[in-house]
Amino acid sequence: MNELRHSDNGALAALYELFASATHDASAAMCRWTNGLITVTLDQVREIPLEDISAELGIGDELLTMVVLTLKGDVGGNLILLFDEHNGRQLAASLLGRHAGTEPEWSDIEKSALTETGNILGCAYVNALTRLIDTDLMPSAPYFIQDYGASVLQQAVMMQALTSDRLLLCQIGFRRKAQELDWRVVFVPTQGMQEALQRSLHAAL
Amino acid sequence: MNTQTTSTAAADILVGMGQIAAGQAPQRMKAILGSCIGLALYHPGRKSGVMAHIVLPESAGRDGAPGKFADTAVPQMLAVLRDHGLPAYGLTAKLAGGANMFNGSGPLQIGDANAQAVAAALRKAGIRVAGHDIGGTRGRRVDFDCASGEMIVQCAGQPARTL
Repeated sequence: MNELRHSDNGALAALYELFASATHDASAAMCRWTNGLITVTLDQVREIPLEDISAELGIGDELLTMVVLTLKGDVGGNLILLFDEHNGRQLAASLLGRHAGTEPEWSDIEKSALTETGNILGCAYVNALTRLIDTDLMPSAPYFIQDYGASVLQQAVMMQALTSDRLLLCQIGFRRKAQELDWRVVFVPTQGMQEALQRSLHAAL
Repeated sequence: MNTQTTSTAAADILVGMGQIAAGQAPQRMKAILGSCIGLALYHPGRKSGVMAHIVLPESAGRDGAPGKFADTAVPQMLAVLRDHGLPAYGLTAKLAGGANMFNGSGPLQIGDANAQAVAAALRKAGIRVAGHDIGGTRGRRVDFDCASGEMIVQCAGQPARTL
């Protein structure tokens, strides 16, 4: 898909390049974690009006399984890994080498498999972003949550909503070989993170 | 009769973050909430009301849509009702949301502050709260029926509750 909205906006285009570089590292980590099965691609870096965010991302009142990793501080953000029930269970099963669970409640081992996936993906992004902006980032432990997707997204964008009615975020997709998978990651950088990335870009020129 | 909203069906109005919507029977006004507050002001006699999806407690001079902040949303909701020929007296309020998502350990846990700010704004406007479902750590789906004045609140994985 690789769509870049507001392509006349140089700052957004530059952010796309920086996040694409970080996504390359995250993809390599994901590929290792899944024995070469899964890769990651940066689909979009875009700005969305606050009121349209759920509709634009297609994340509404469906119950989703999510892993959230927070980068604390002004130079921070939130990374959310989102699955529907079927896809989350399938990923956990493939990582654990067993059939997908059918009990309504997720087992601790299934939660752990998904949480570790979020951790590996999140840490790859953190390491790449740390190199880019030359600033130590403070990731939280990944947090497993099953809730309405829009409710979690709402909390994730709150830091940006403090200062702007337009929200910048990155959408990342997954592929199994050539097949696009219905798993998603949304990364919502704080205003401080966006400014740090811009500074690093200017310094590199 | 809706403003600044997204329609999902002929009778449904989806109220996005920071938006204010007005509706009348048989319309239903809906929102998905985490730390935000869904506030409905309702006029039973006219079977009409207005809903805001409030994001933050105070505008504090910040730019933004009036519906985004508790202190600006309530006066704006009254203005919208006035524009639709509805009086400020006889209104009741129902509200839901204000969760502290991620078990209260994530960024900017603002659910409690939002709930307190909305309560203060309603007190200042002299509007009676007829029902509320506030706090916790789970998201909510709210559905306000303009015909009955009922607000149906569904927390993820739990039975629906009618306010």
